[in-house]
Amino acid sequence: MSAHRLQQLKGHILPEIKSTAMAGSLSPLTTHVLNTSMGVPGSNMALSLYRQDLPTNAWSLITTGTTNDDGRCPGLITKELFTSGVYKIRFESAQYWASIGQTSFYPYVEIVFTINDPGQKYHVPLLLSPFSYSTYRGS
Amino acid sequence: MAAAESSPLTTHVLNTADGVPAAKMALTLHRLDSKLMIWNMLSVGTTNKDGRCPGLISREAFTPGMYKLRFETGLYWESLGQTSFYPYVEVVFTITDPEQRFHLPLLMSRFSYSTYRGS
Repeated sequence: MSAHRLQQLKGHILPEIKSTAMAGSLSPLTTHVLNTSMGVPGSNMALSLYRQDLPTNAWSLITTGTTNDDGRCPGLITKELFTSGVYKIRFESAQYWASIGQTSFYPYVEIVFTINDPGQKYHVPLLLSPFSYSTYRGS
Repeated sequence: MAAAESSPLTTHVLNTADGVPAAKMALTLHRLDSKLMIWNMLSVGTTNKDGRCPGLISREAFTPGMYKLRFETGLYWESLGQTSFYPYVEVVFTITDPEQRFHLPLLMSRFSYSTYRGS
């Protein structure tokens, strides 16, 4: 069984904090997806948040969610769970473009970032078109 | 590594914070084995003074599929004595028509990056 498949199965089985996004306003980590080719929020895009385990370096699934009408996904993580470490947000961008009848160069977008000070707020937006994307650390 | 002019896939890394090419950045190119669902590394390289890395792949090896370019951006910023928000950047893309040329630049600073399909 491939490492990737094993990771997928592990994400389903772990009794953790999984599944749908947690209670809204308090997430210290937020995202915002914008469809820059059409000038609209990227709504109804599936995404998932992972943290990298040490020492195995395997990715643990923390939350799955879908962006709302405004391209946001409240409740990604709670303050308690938001510890220092390496995180990844995976955006199902190709599914999104397909749902509006377009193809895309990227099958998905993964953004990996390091949290050294979980006391701060982190905003990780994704601006995308079918053939480009950008991200930055925002506020 | 394959001869420079003939790579149908090219990249260009720019350090937008300092307004210079990102030289001496390590990067790797991978293709997804869709049956086994694992990534196979195809080439390893380092960007030159102009932030480019010729000879990423040969025309023969460039078959349709899912590819990944992994840029060791964290190591790059470290070598300049700086930290960065991203430990590395991976750009995953789909090639359906390998007869075309594909240019995948990466424009980056310590706290942002962007990529696009160029020419």
